[in-house]
Amino acid sequence: MGGPVRQAMVILLAALIPASLTAAFHPRRPAWSQEILAPGEETLPTALAWGESVLWVDARSADEYGVEHVPGAILLNMEGWDALFPKFLDRWNPGKKIVVYCSAATCELSREVAERLRKNGISSVFVLKGGWEAWKSRK
Amino acid sequence: MKLIVFLLCLFAGSAFGQLAWSTTEQTFNSKQQDKEVVAKYKFTNTGAKPIKIENVRTSCGCTTAALSKTDYAPGESGEIEAKFTFSGRTGKQEKAIMVTTSADPQAPTVLKLHVNIQEPIKIEPEFVLWQVGETADPKDIHIAIAEDAPVKIVSVTSDNPAMKVKLTEVKPGKEYEARVTPDSVAQPAAATLIIRTDYPPDNPQTKFAYARIK
Repeated sequence: MGGPVRQAMVILLAALIPASLTAAFHPRRPAWSQEILAPGEETLPTALAWGESVLWVDARSADEYGVEHVPGAILLNMEGWDALFPKFLDRWNPGKKIVVYCSAATCELSREVAERLRKNGISSVFVLKGGWEAWKSRK
Repeated sequence: MKLIVFLLCLFAGSAFGQLAWSTTEQTFNSKQQDKEVVAKYKFTNTGAKPIKIENVRTSCGCTTAALSKTDYAPGESGEIEAKFTFSGRTGKQEKAIMVTTSADPQAPTVLKLHVNIQEPIKIEPEFVLWQVGETADPKDIHIAIAEDAPVKIVSVTSDNPAMKVKLTEVKPGKEYEARVTPDSVAQPAAATLIIRTDYPPDNPQTKFAYARIK
């Protein structure tokens, strides 16, 4: 009775060692916890990985933008849409990914701006998960 | 029936030491000239202990929430006044006001504000695009006037002579089509389309749409 159980335990233990090594070191191992994203949302590491193909859009107020913003970001918010949208169009090119951010994870401004851009037929528009706070706390 | 609801609210407030709200959700339909809406959310401290309103946050910079005081004795009533400024927003809007109290700091009450903002002139899309090298086919911009809006489109002009625009009235006084045609799409180009209206009569509104060749 003890024999088969012991054998099963040995087999399980033998399988556990390579499985643990794979989970810890394999370059394409699955993430332990998948970050939950709302539709149209993207994480900062993903946006950063896109590199030069991203046009950053700051949906906060002009005052907040004036204090500090993501390098290269263009200001585009609902309050100043009529004046800012043509400037955005001059900077944007088809094929560029657009990442919109506002002040925090809970703010809606980036979603509003992203939605209005999409309504105008501009594709590849994403909202930055965590917003400006995520950018500021990046490592 | 009303007495039963009142007693239930009173009991709930007493049991959990929370504020009893007269309503946590309000809906407004904006009128033509409105620039903002103000919603008042009334509450009563139905518990046996004083309650402090520790924090009032809004989901959007476009919404502000004002509170005359923060501490409420048992039985005392108050209100939070939320002001939502439209700032170019149109259509259905939903804003949230999160209220955190000393009674339950981990579970803020979420007050909701729904506003249907009337859009007297709707322009879709706000811009048309050609990619360099594609055929110079015309592209249309649809202009719709809201049902009871006393607005007419007077003219649509382009600031770039190489991008022509022609205005057609589809439904008299209600729907228009602005057809944009570039002379050539061999080079990048830009145009602003100026949409002139006759409303309000003393200072008629001008809207804009854009054309780009990229």
